[in-house]
Amino acid sequence: MRWSTEDIPSFVKERQYVDTVLLPLLPVEFGDGIRQSAAMTEFITVMTAELEKQFRGRILLAPSYTYLAADEESRPSSEELNKWIESMKKEKLKHIILLTADSSWKKAEHDLDAFLIWMPLVPLENLEASYKKQVISEQIKQLLPVIMDIWKKEGNS
Amino acid sequence: MSDEQNHNVSRRQFLTYTLTGVGGFMAAGIILPMARFAIDPVLQAESEGDMKAVTDVSELTDTPQRFDFSYEQEDAWNTSEVTETAFIYQSGEEIVALSNTCTHLGCKVSWGSSSDHPNQFYCPCHGGRYEKDGTNIEGTPPTEPLHKYQVEVREGTVYVGKAEPQV
Ligand code: FES
Repeated sequence: MRWSTEDIPSFVKERQYVDTVLLPLLPVEFGDGIRQSAAMTEFITVMTAELEKQFRGRILLAPSYTYLAADEESRPSSEELNKWIESMKKEKLKHIILLTADSSWKKAEHDLDAFLIWMPLVPLENLEASYKKQVISEQIKQLLPVIMDIWKKEGNS
Repeated sequence: MSDEQNHNVSRRQFLTYTLTGVGGFMAAGIILPMARFAIDPVLQAESEGDMKAVTDVSELTDTPQRFDFSYEQEDAWNTSEVTETAFIYQSGEEIVALSNTCTHLGCKVSWGSSSDHPNQFYCPCHGGRYEKDGTNIEGTPPTEPLHKYQVEVREGTVYVGKAEPQV
């Protein structure tokens, strides 16, 4: 379900069935990395929208978590993000799936109380529309079983 | 004197009249095309029935296969291309096209994806299941059958229209 006035009422009504949050993690950069930042935003936004369509009865697509991109040495702080995760868990959203193209989260994976899926960025900007679709659906096909596995492993609601 | 004043059109009045006249024409020019745009899609939808070509009849078997098709959809802000998926199979003479949207909460079902129930549609979200003809299986969350597309065959091509409830 989307974060919209149209979908949220059914989320509230069907809470027992919606036990999963999909949270896009989007690094923001205004300097040299601005292109990269835009490309990641585009890619992850398309992916999460598509996953929402596939699993909308069980997944709530949360508004993206945006943060200033970390530089080479440092890594993004997991503290603030963990606060988000905590408040979701408090609301009985038991499966939290983070989707990102930012590889720096891989280093912080163990500090996060959620399931991190990192995907290498596929730049969509120069692709023809039909090819773009094909690329996305290939990626989605690989992601679907990953998510179903999370449900299986972490147990059903 | 006063009589004459009333009948004479002053320069300002003249301008006002003519401008209104021209403005009137311009407005008409603008409104007409808009009306045409507003009416056309309706007429089209009626004549074409908004059927979308999906596949060749020769591709169909008696096992449901997935076919994607796309069309443009307009909402308040933009036009976007929407892709839908139908599961289509041949059942005797009839061609059956079922929506892949679970009638429970809208996840996407697929045919035979649960190894325990190879001859049913299965929803990965809460284990909803349906028979081949779309009938929901009791004891699973869905309370109504999968929606069914209107189907038309023209010159060997399968067209689908709107998906409608089976109940
Ligand atoms: S959305 Fe399919 S069983 Fe709930």
